[in-house]
Amino acid sequence: MTQMRLFRFFAALLSVLALGLVPARAELHVTVDQANPQPLPIAIQDFGAASAADAASGQNIAKVIRADLDRSGLFKPLDPKSFIEKIVNINVAPQYGSWRPIGAQALVVGQVQTLPDGRLQVDFRLWDVYGESQMFSHSYKAPPESWRRIAHIIADAIYQRITGETGYFDTRIVFISESGPALARKKRLAVMDQDGANPMFLTRGDYLVLTPRFNPTAQMIAYMSYIGAKPHVYQFDLESGRQEMLGNFPNMTFSPRFSPDGNKVAMVLESGGNSDVYVMDLRTRAMTRLTSDPSIDTAPSFSPDGTQIAFESDRGGSQQIYVMNADGSNQHRISFSPGRNGTPVWSPRGDLIAFTNQSGGFHVGVMHTDGSGARIITNGWEDEGPTWAPNGRVIMFTRTTQGGRGSQIWSIDITGRNERRVPTPGDASDPAWSPLIQPPTRP
Amino acid sequence: MSQSLSPARLDRRATTTRGSVVGGLVVAGLLHAALIAVTLIAWEHKLDIVDQSPPNVPVDLVSISDKTNVAPIAPKAEPKPLEPPQPETQTTPAPTPPPPTAAAAPPQPAPQPKPETRPEPALKPIAKPPEAKKPDPKKTASEDFNDLLSSLTAPPPKSAHAARTGDRPVKGIGDMNMMTADLAAMLKSQMSECWSPPAGAPHPERLVPRFRIQLNRDGTVARQPQLLAESSPSGDPFMVAAVEAARRAIMTCGPYRLPPDRYDQWKDSTVDFNPRDMAQ
Repeated sequence: MTQMRLFRFFAALLSVLALGLVPARAELHVTVDQANPQPLPIAIQDFGAASAADAASGQNIAKVIRADLDRSGLFKPLDPKSFIEKIVNINVAPQYGSWRPIGAQALVVGQVQTLPDGRLQVDFRLWDVYGESQMFSHSYKAPPESWRRIAHIIADAIYQRITGETGYFDTRIVFISESGPALARKKRLAVMDQDGANPMFLTRGDYLVLTPRFNPTAQMIAYMSYIGAKPHVYQFDLESGRQEMLGNFPNMTFSPRFSPDGNKVAMVLESGGNSDVYVMDLRTRAMTRLTSDPSIDTAPSFSPDGTQIAFESDRGGSQQIYVMNADGSNQHRISFSPGRNGTPVWSPRGDLIAFTNQSGGFHVGVMHTDGSGARIITNGWEDEGPTWAPNGRVIMFTRTTQGGRGSQIWSIDITGRNERRVPTPGDASDPAWSPLIQPPTRP
Repeated sequence: MSQSLSPARLDRRATTTRGSVVGGLVVAGLLHAALIAVTLIAWEHKLDIVDQSPPNVPVDLVSISDKTNVAPIAPKAEPKPLEPPQPETQTTPAPTPPPPTAAAAPPQPAPQPKPETRPEPALKPIAKPPEAKKPDPKKTASEDFNDLLSSLTAPPPKSAHAARTGDRPVKGIGDMNMMTADLAAMLKSQMSECWSPPAGAPHPERLVPRFRIQLNRDGTVARQPQLLAESSPSGDPFMVAAVEAARRAIMTCGPYRLPPDRYDQWKDSTVDFNPRDMAQ
């Protein structure tokens, strides 16, 4: 019996020792592959200032930044009334412990001052509340009347740092502003900031203006205008206000669109009921014909690398979307969604083409550049004529309400979420998005 | 004529004996032959023995690690978090095995003063194990080791909810160790709630940051998570955004709810944030 007990004792001792030798902690490895995408809660304090006038600017700038980030759908600016700490010196690190309880994950603070030469100087910092560090800071100087642009540029910098994408807040929208009774509609060319501020009329409305499009490199607009007997393509310089006709053709020209380098304009020439796509070199004014099909070819749109053009054609029997090389070769169809597909617009990011689909109503959709993955992203009564934000994430389009009671401009994210009305003075249609007015600076 | 043993009679008797000997031989020979013949003949008719062995049962030899190598399950309703009841059940069942014998010996005299303050330990469940292990003076040393042996070989209590087998052969969470699979599932479901990767980034499957996370016993983050690896060059603004989004997920989701008695297993972990399924 003693032998048995001795054996069991040693067995127990051995197993206990063995347990001690095995590492008590095996390293835990986790792969997180499911997410819960939410807008980022961000605290933006009114920008501080020494004088009362500057303080008003500081409040306005912060308000514009909050509105921009909120409208993107990717941020949730917190109500300033909920802030616990009030930062007066932006050169001192914040008390992170007082920002976490209100749910802020990022914090923006800034200050405004008027310089002796009259310019406005705006400094700001973006803090990481949980990482307890500064993400970046920047300083801007500009004429005081450009305070809105400074706010948009700051919003772009914040957007870019947090999402990795370049922003789109420092941009303008050119559109057709409509007013007057239904039988005497006045359509004027207008331009405004992307948030609806600063609307400006460019024409008086004496003549019809259609399909305005922005030059991707400069603040110039091309559009179709019925100034003379026949409509022609014109170019309008926003800086100088000068307008000039592009080419002198006896027939109709319309549907202009700039090339990505801004040196060429693709447009459509009509002749005896047949319309074809041409490209005009703006430097030499030479015209090159790209399509010669007896069908109606229209609505050309360059790819961002300038090597291809998407266009609309009814050569197959109904309007569909085709793609060709920039020299006119390899014309092939890419749209196969049920119904008619037209108004193709190539994304500035190069990965998608937006279009209007007509099958029991009009809807805006996006597809890959080979035509695959086509999906409808809007669901209004009559949505058409998409235009891209410069970062290829947001689309604006014209929405006409049921009964034809006027149209408005709406914006939507390419995921189909965050659909919003863009405020305009009265009814509006045919929006076209400008490039970033100031090229992005790496924060 | 009287019967006498005359030679004539003897002859007659002798003649009869000789005949019976031959006859006897013949009969014996026949009987022997019959016996041998019987042994040579095989019976056609076999005895019916009923086969009473149990029916054949097919057996799969499976190692335990294969079956508890859990695969992540795609949730049916996205915002619904997995709330494993493990933290609650851990504190109520039978006390978990105490640390090795060497440590068990000293605490034994300690419970002696406990009978005076008996109501107190009842409020603190942690005080239960020393009380239950209070030495019974009748127990012998060998029976003590018996108890130790049996409790050491008992498997740790597992909640039925935490670990489930997926039906696709995916490299599972915690695939190195069956005992940490449920902890990995708990950490993963809690962190997923707070993770908001940069939406709409081109090719999201290439943005996979890896962090080392160290947690305190109460589930709070002990120090800033360490970035161990990024799958894209660090100058890429999308990778920067992905790293920061993952870091925010780790920091804002604490304190993490994990079983405190298994702290050693989860105090140090490596986490990958992989948005592979989120391409638009």
